[in-house]
Amino acid sequence: MKESIEPILRKLEGLNTIDLIAKKLNVKESTAIKKIHELRKFGHVETSGGGKQPRLYRVYRNKIVKIGNPGLYDIINKNSPVKISRPYEERIVGRKLSIEEALIRAIKTEKYRVILASLALFNKVKDIPKLYKLAKKEDVRRKLGALYEVARNTIRTKKINEKHLRLMLKAKNEKAFIVPKVKSKDFKDIENKWRVYIPFNKQDLWRLKE
Amino acid sequence: MIDLKKQGELLSLIGEKIKKKIECYIVGGSAMLYHGVKEETKDVDIVFDEQESKEIFEKVLRDLGFKERDVRIIYFKKRNTPLLLQRGEERIDLFIKKVITFEITESMKARVEKVYEYGNLIVKAVSPEDIILFKCATERAGDRIDASNIIKNFKIKWNVIIEEALNQTKLESYLFPVYLYDFLEELKEDFKADIPNEVLRKIRKISEDLLVKKLKKKKK
Repeated sequence: MKESIEPILRKLEGLNTIDLIAKKLNVKESTAIKKIHELRKFGHVETSGGGKQPRLYRVYRNKIVKIGNPGLYDIINKNSPVKISRPYEERIVGRKLSIEEALIRAIKTEKYRVILASLALFNKVKDIPKLYKLAKKEDVRRKLGALYEVARNTIRTKKINEKHLRLMLKAKNEKAFIVPKVKSKDFKDIENKWRVYIPFNKQDLWRLKE
Repeated sequence: MIDLKKQGELLSLIGEKIKKKIECYIVGGSAMLYHGVKEETKDVDIVFDEQESKEIFEKVLRDLGFKERDVRIIYFKKRNTPLLLQRGEERIDLFIKKVITFEITESMKARVEKVYEYGNLIVKAVSPEDIILFKCATERAGDRIDASNIIKNFKIKWNVIIEEALNQTKLESYLFPVYLYDFLEELKEDFKADIPNEVLRKIRKISEDLLVKKLKKKKK
């Protein structure tokens, strides 16, 4: 079977829409849908988009090897209106990455867009004590508290109780920059309270409200 | 022989036993398993960036009953050979930074396409281009077949291979492009691998220039 689909895979390798597949294979749209269904059955197609977005089909010449569970970037893309591109495919084997862990890992990346997109996760957090514990372990308690306040000023979030906020504020010997050398013009009050530098201005956050 | 499932089970077990997070690069046939171009591999080739990580990994393997094997059986008298550990049919080759004539570089690390987290063990599978370069360095039985399969199944970025070969000349392996030229030439001749002539010409030119430079240095 691999032999017979090989020429089709070569023609379609990469990102496609149904229109494009029909054009590349010189067939009708209905036939293109059948072909892509067939390729997906053999594990060569990954689908994305749909709904308001156009449906995209990424065709691979080799079978897609999917083991384990989604990593940080996939979790953010699933839960945030701000989408980020994956620098690599990340899979967690043998367990699932929790929202709490994803949030802390996002802060640890020190990457502007990853942290911006991850603010949406504050509404999906289920276990506040776990979130606090992880932040303590990774020395990012004040960063977490400050980002929580920024997120809460902008979007709907789960509420972190006073006890944990107080503990976060007390944290010592933590780095001040969330993203190296980036400071905010608009969140001075939050920056002063938490003694960290917020990497966003108010305008940066509108995409989270979509 | 080890398939993806067995490899995953073994790495999960190691990841559970390790107390501290460590990173490693998986190269060769085991990386091909992750890329979906190979069903089974004889051994798992792992490269560490840090000695400490390798020692932690090695200790866990020894605790799991892996025994050291004579490296000369597979690598003869080559330089930068790995530590060979074996348990039954499972063989793991542990390298630090260098794999025979090839050294892991920052650009190679940046090209990593797949990252797997097995407990405290972070496994990074190198790109198809880098697998070819590693295969050129190790030159064991089966390495040429594997390399030609990668060329057949991926759109290889040949400029990456040329740039990395040049990178290697700045490190320990001054003549890496010479070995690479021989390796690719053989792949094209014997395995009918689809390697553009332009690529071979470029690598040949680089190799000749390097050899001339080396000879001039010797004369001085």
